[in-house]
Amino acid sequence: MGVRERKPLPPPVPPCDRLIVFGYARPESLPEALELVGAGARPLAGGTDLLVGLRKGKFTADRVVDLKAITELQPAIYETHGGWEITAGTVMSDIVDHPDVRARYPALVQAASAVGSIQIRNRATLAGNVCNASPAADTAPPLLVYDASVVVAGADGERTISLVDFFVGPGQTALLPGELVTRLVLPPPTRSAAFARLTRRRGVDLATVSVCCGVGDDGSVRFALGAAGPRPLVVEDTSGTLADPAAPEGDVSGRIGELLAVATPISDVRAGAEYRRAMLEVLAHRTLEAALAQREERR
Amino acid sequence: MTTGNVGRPAGRIGGLDRVTGRQRYVADLRLDDALHVKLVTLPCARARIVDIDTSKAWEVPGVRTIFTAADLPDPMPRYGVHYDDRPVLAVGETKFHGEPVAAVAADTLDAAQRAAALVQVQYEELPPVLDVRAALDPAAPLVVDPVLRPDDPLASTNIRREFRYAWGDVDTATADLVIENTYTFPMVTHFAIEPHGFVVAADESGVTVWSSIQHPYILQRVMARVLGLPLSRVRVIAPDPGGAFGGKGYPKFEPLLAYMAMATGRPCRLVLTLEETFQAVRRNNAEVRIRTGFDSDGTIRFQDIEADFLMGAYVDISARVISKSSHLAAGPYRVPNARILARALHSHTPPSTAMRGFGTPQFSWALEQQMDEAARRLDMDRLEIRLRNLARKGEEFIPGDTPADGDWFESVRRAADAIGWGEPLPDGRGRGLAVGIKSSATAGAAYSILRFLYDGSVFVLVGTSDMGQGARTILTQIVSDELGVPPEAVNVVMGDTAAAPFDYSTSASRSTVFMGGSVMRGCAELKDQVREMAARLRGCEPEEIEIDRGVVTFPGGEQKGIVEVVQEGLGAVGGELIAVGLMRGEADPNHPIGGRPWFYEFNCTAVELEVDRRTGEVLIHKHVTVADVGKAINPQHVESQDEGAAIMGLGHTLMEHLVLDEHGRIVNLGALDYRIPTTKDMPLELESIIVENGDGPGPHGAKGVGEGGLLCVAAAVASAVTDATGVVIRDLPLTPERIWRAINEVTPSEVSP
Amino acid sequence: MTPQTMNITLVVNGQHHSLDVAVHHSLLDVLRNDLDLTGTKECCAEGECGACTVRMDEKAVNACLVLAVEADGRDITTIEGLATEDHLSPVQQAFLEEGAVQCGFCIPGMVMSAAYLLEHNDAPTEEEIREALSGNLCRCAGYKRIVRAVQRAAEAGR
Repeated sequence: MGVRERKPLPPPVPPCDRLIVFGYARPESLPEALELVGAGARPLAGGTDLLVGLRKGKFTADRVVDLKAITELQPAIYETHGGWEITAGTVMSDIVDHPDVRARYPALVQAASAVGSIQIRNRATLAGNVCNASPAADTAPPLLVYDASVVVAGADGERTISLVDFFVGPGQTALLPGELVTRLVLPPPTRSAAFARLTRRRGVDLATVSVCCGVGDDGSVRFALGAAGPRPLVVEDTSGTLADPAAPEGDVSGRIGELLAVATPISDVRAGAEYRRAMLEVLAHRTLEAALAQREERR
Repeated sequence: MTTGNVGRPAGRIGGLDRVTGRQRYVADLRLDDALHVKLVTLPCARARIVDIDTSKAWEVPGVRTIFTAADLPDPMPRYGVHYDDRPVLAVGETKFHGEPVAAVAADTLDAAQRAAALVQVQYEELPPVLDVRAALDPAAPLVVDPVLRPDDPLASTNIRREFRYAWGDVDTATADLVIENTYTFPMVTHFAIEPHGFVVAADESGVTVWSSIQHPYILQRVMARVLGLPLSRVRVIAPDPGGAFGGKGYPKFEPLLAYMAMATGRPCRLVLTLEETFQAVRRNNAEVRIRTGFDSDGTIRFQDIEADFLMGAYVDISARVISKSSHLAAGPYRVPNARILARALHSHTPPSTAMRGFGTPQFSWALEQQMDEAARRLDMDRLEIRLRNLARKGEEFIPGDTPADGDWFESVRRAADAIGWGEPLPDGRGRGLAVGIKSSATAGAAYSILRFLYDGSVFVLVGTSDMGQGARTILTQIVSDELGVPPEAVNVVMGDTAAAPFDYSTSASRSTVFMGGSVMRGCAELKDQVREMAARLRGCEPEEIEIDRGVVTFPGGEQKGIVEVVQEGLGAVGGELIAVGLMRGEADPNHPIGGRPWFYEFNCTAVELEVDRRTGEVLIHKHVTVADVGKAINPQHVESQDEGAAIMGLGHTLMEHLVLDEHGRIVNLGALDYRIPTTKDMPLELESIIVENGDGPGPHGAKGVGEGGLLCVAAAVASAVTDATGVVIRDLPLTPERIWRAINEVTPSEVSP
Repeated sequence: MTPQTMNITLVVNGQHHSLDVAVHHSLLDVLRNDLDLTGTKECCAEGECGACTVRMDEKAVNACLVLAVEADGRDITTIEGLATEDHLSPVQQAFLEEGAVQCGFCIPGMVMSAAYLLEHNDAPTEEEIREALSGNLCRCAGYKRIVRAVQRAAEAGR
C-alpha cells in the first residue's frame, strides 16, 4: 500500500449525511503510519468516533490511515515493571474481559463497559477514546485516577505524556502533527477506585456527567470528573478527611463541595449546568463510598 | 361457533422472512435503472430564497437532473390530505428546517450527495414562529400566505382551524372545587426503525410508486390529483413498512419524485436518513389549559378545556388529529357540562402528522393529572375518584354519540389488582394509575376480494398494510376458520393498488373491525356461492345446504368437503369463485367529527416506580397495561402491540422530545441525541392484560388494538412520581433533570431541556 | 476529487468475494448494494441503533461504522448466513415462537446480537440479556418478547 501522490485538500465539506473520504492507506509499520499522519492523514482505529464525525461534518478527511495492521499497535495488554500497558489497538471489550485489568483497575473496567453498546465496544479503542478527547470521555476519569500516561511516537522517537497533561481542551490533545499514541501505561495501582456516570436514559448513552474516585494507600483521595469542563478535571484531597470512613458527613460534604467548585459544566442539549454540578457532587459521594468499600475489601 | 385459528396465538405470517433477512422493505428493492435522489435543505426554519445556483452541482458526473421551484409548474403544484397546501418544493420561502429547496437525481448516491452539497443557495433568514405563544400573537408573521386560504375567515392568523364542542352549561355549573392548570406535551417523532423510502417511475402509461406508505389508496388519490392523472393510471406498491405508528400515513416526497421521474425518464429513488425522518414527521405538540369542577365527593361537575396544537406549516392530517381528539377531551367519564376549544395552529416547525394515539395522549396527560389533583385535594383515593366518574357501559358519555362500549370498570379493576393498588409501598416508591380513551374510525370503507381457487387455496386481496401489527396473520386466521381451509392455503395479498381493492387506511386501530369485517362478509358471500353451486348439483334449494368450517352438509345429512363441492361445480372447465367483501361506514356531515366512532379503544395503565431523589432518575418496577379489546383474534399479537405501545409511551414520558433552537433547527437531530427506550429502559416487569367481553363491532366481537397501551402512560407515571416524591410536574418528558429540578425547586437559569 | 477505489476480498457467509470498492463506502453499503445482501439494515448510520449488526471475525459490530476497506480479508456473517438449508438457528426459531417479531426491521440486528451473546454466555440472566441487546433499538415490540426469545434460545441450547 504505497502513499498516493498528495492532492490539495478539498474545500470544507458542509455537514452531510454521507461519509466522504478520499484516500485510505493501511500501513503495516509504524514509521510508514507516522509519515502518513504527518502528511495530514487522519488516524483510523475503531472508527466509532471518526466515522460518525466525518458523516456529520465535524471532521473532514482527505485521507485516513488505518492503524489496525501496524505490528506495534496490535491489541495487547501486558505487564511491565509491575505496571500494565495497553496498546493503541486494544478495544474496550478486550479491556472489560481482561482478568488482570479487572483485578487491578476495576474503575477502568466500569468505564469501558459503559462505552456504547457491545457492538461499539468491540471496535472502539481505549487510545481512540483518549485521543478524541471529549470532555465527557468515559475512560478519562479512571485513567486519570490511576495516573495513566500515554506513550507517543513521532518521527524523532517516543515520548511519554502524563494523561493529565494530554487533555488540552475539547477535542484537543497534546499530540503534535505527525504523532500517534502507541500505548497507554498504567502504573501499579495505588488506589482503590470506583467509577459512576449519569445519563439521560438507562440504556446506551453519552454521559451527562461522570466521576471516578480513587482512594490512595496514602490516604489521599482523587476525583476525576467528566463533562465538568473543557477537559476532564482532576482534584485531590490530601487532608485525609475523605479517606476516613468515620469522618462526619458534614465535613465530607463540605470538602467535596470545595473540591468540586472548580468544575465548570456547561448547559447543552443533554443537561443544564446546575444539574450537572449537583450530579457531580452526588456521584462524588457515591464513588467515594464505593472506593472506600473496595479498599476495605482489599485489606 | 367454536374457534379454530381465531383466538389462538397463530404464528405470524411473514415472520420467517423477517428472521432470515429475506423480507424486502422499500429500501431493499432493486430497480436497476433508478436514479438516486438527495434533497437540498437550509440550516434554518424560515428563509427567503434569493437565488439557487446549480451550476457547480451539474458538473458532478452522473447527475441527471436538478430540480428547483423553477423546474416545476407555475403556480407551484400543491398537495395534501384535506388541503392542497404543501408545495412540491419550497417556493419563495422555506417554512421549516428540512423543507427541500432543491433536489438532485444522479446515477449513484455518491454523485447525488456530492452534487447536493454543491448547490449554492442564497437565502435570507426570517424570524420564525416556533411555539404556541408566537403562533397566537397577532403581530407574528403569517406562516401561510393568506392567498392560499381563500374564503377562510382565519386566513390572516396562524390559526388554521378552531374546533368547539360543548354540552350542558359550563358557565352556570357549580362546583365545590375548581382546579385549573396548564399542561404541555412536547414534540416527539415516530422514529420507526425503517426510515421512509420512495421510488417513483413514470412513463406514458402512468405512474408507479413504491412507498413505505401505510395508506396506499390515500397516496394514490393524492398523486392522481397533484399530477392530474386518472386513478387507474396511478399504481401504488406498498411493501410492508418497517414500523410506521402513523408517520408513514401520508404523502411526503412522492410527488416530487414523480416530477423528477417524468423529467428524466427513469425511476427516482429517495430513502430518507434517520435525521430526515425527524424533519419529516412528528406528533402535534400541545398546550392544554384545563379547568375542572368537582363536587366534594369527587364527582366531576364540569370540564372547561382549551388546547393549542402546533401543526407546522402544512396541515397534513393534523386538523383531523386535533378535531377528533378534542372531541374526546373530557375523557371516558360522566361529565354533565363540558366546553372544549381546540385550535390547530401553524408554525415554522417540522410538520406534524398522525402519531399513535392521534391527539388523545396530549389530552389524557392533562385530564388524568386533574383527576389526581382533585383526589389529593379532596383526600380521596386516586382509583376511587376514577371509579366514581367512569362512564358505565351503554351510557352516552358524549351526548348523542356512541355510548361507552365496554365494561371499563373491569379494565380499571384488573389494572389496580395487578399493580397491587392499596398495598403498602416500600420507601421511595410510588404508584400511579390512569385511563385513556380514543375513538376509532368514524367512517371508511374496506373492500376485499376473495378468490377461491380450484384446489381450495384462497387469495385474499386487501389494501390493508401490515407494518408489524400482524394484519396479514389475523386475516389469514379469519379466512381459514370461515372457509375451513388450512392457513397455509390462504394467501393474503396486500400493498398493491393494482391488485387489491380500496381500503381507506390502516389507522385508527380499525383494520380488525373494518377489514376483518369485510373479509368475513366476503367469506359469507363465497359460502353463498358454494351453496348455490351445491344446490344446483343436488337439485335442492340453497337454503337447505349448510356450510360450516369447510364442511358442506346436504339435506339428508350427506357431507362433503367444500373443495370437493367447488371442483364438482366448476367441472372440467375449471375456474374459481370470486367474492367481494365490503365494510362501509358513510361519513355523516352533521356529526361534529364526521360520524359516530365505531368503537372506543380504552386502556388503563398502572405503574409502580422508584425515584432516586438525588438524581431524579426513575426506575419502573412494574408497568401494567389493560386493554378492552372485545375479542383478541390473535392474543399474542394483541399483547405484543400493547407492550410496544407501553414502551413507546415511556419514551415520550421519560426521555423523548425534539429540541429546537432559535433558528427553528432541530438541535437533537439523530439517534445520538434523540433518545428512545432501549432494553435497559424497560420496566423491570411489564404485564399486558386483555379484557375480552365480545362487545365490539368486529369479527367475533372484536374491537381494535394497537394504540391504547400508549394513551395514558405519561399520566400514570407522573401520578406515581408525585406519589413517590410529592412533586407535580405538568410538562414532559419527565427527564431525571426535570424531576430533580421539581424536587429541589430549582428554576432553570439557563434554558435546557 | 473522486474517492480512491480498492480491491478487497471478503468472505461473507462462507462465500469468497473479490470486489472493487470506494474507500468511503461502509461495509454496510457493500453488503447491501454490491452483494445484494439486504437483510442487514440501515437506520441511524452512526452506530446507535444496531440495525446493521453483523459478525466480523467473530465479533458483533455495526457495519455502518466499518469501512469496507477495513473489512478486507475478514470473515463476515450476516443474518442471511445464520440459517442452514434445513433449519433456522435456535435464536431465529425462538424469536418466531415467542412472537418477538413485529415489523421485523430491527430483527436481523437483534438476532445477530442475541446469537453473539449466547455464544459467549449460554446461561445469561435477564439483566445480561438486556445489557447485550442495549445497542439494538426496537420501536414495535417493547422488548419483552425479544428478551424472552433469547431466554428460550438459551434454554434450547442447553
